[in-house]
Amino acid sequence: MDDVDEVFKALADPTRRRLLDELFARDGRTLSELEADLPMTRFGVMKHLRVLEDAGLITTRRQGRSKLHFLNAVPIQLIHDRWVSKYAEAWTEGLSGLKSELEKEEEAA
Amino acid sequence: MNDHDEPYAVVDGAAAMTVFEIYIKTTPDRLWSAITDPETRARYSFGVRIDSDWTPGSRYESGVPGVIAIAAGENVEVDPPRRLVQTMTALWSDAVKAAGESRVTWEIEPVGSSCRLRVTHDRLPADADSEVFGGWPMILSGLKTLLESGEDLDTPGSLRYAAGG
Repeated sequence: MDDVDEVFKALADPTRRRLLDELFARDGRTLSELEADLPMTRFGVMKHLRVLEDAGLITTRRQGRSKLHFLNAVPIQLIHDRWVSKYAEAWTEGLSGLKSELEKEEEAA
Repeated sequence: MNDHDEPYAVVDGAAAMTVFEIYIKTTPDRLWSAITDPETRARYSFGVRIDSDWTPGSRYESGVPGVIAIAAGENVEVDPPRRLVQTMTALWSDAVKAAGESRVTWEIEPVGSSCRLRVTHDRLPADADSEVFGGWPMILSGLKTLLESGEDLDTPGSLRYAAGG
């Protein structure tokens, strides 16, 4: 379902990351539209889209006769909240600490 | 697919909509309550609460009272704990106000011991500022964390208005 392993595996492929970037640039695209921008067969693109969908990174909706693909960034945000912000924030805090130290010095001077 | 599927706003072949999905280990009732209760809502929405009487056709307002107005609109469909359809006009900056009125549909579907929550934000103009719909991943990630762990997210973004400004 929203297993984090599946998300990391899905992201560990340049074509799939490219597909996410394509959808980020313009959301809600058909297989044909996505396929046109990639040096790959329709079948190959379909397989990658399936992996992304299984990992919860894209969702699909029917629009008349076509199937539209949408970027679902929620699993990436979950990874960010769990695995990135924790490490990045220590750094940000360090910087804001430095800023207040410098301001203190300035006031004292 | 369900019987609520209907044509969405499509402009020049580009769908002016976004769809977000997330599985949350909780019950539909608890999820519905987390979406509609002002205090719970504030815990995962950058400190922003939402106030309404939640009857069909009623108005809602979201924001931090006395600090910032975030959005307002109508509760078009209210079907607890399954489906909530709201119009939304973003109010937090001139850039987002320019997008005008859009629509947000919340759909809750029980799947095993979890719920699938799908948030569809559509009827957006093709040139809408991405801030109008760009906050959903952060909000939904915070909602999942809160319901599954009982803990608030403490990333800087999630606390933006928590201290009242």
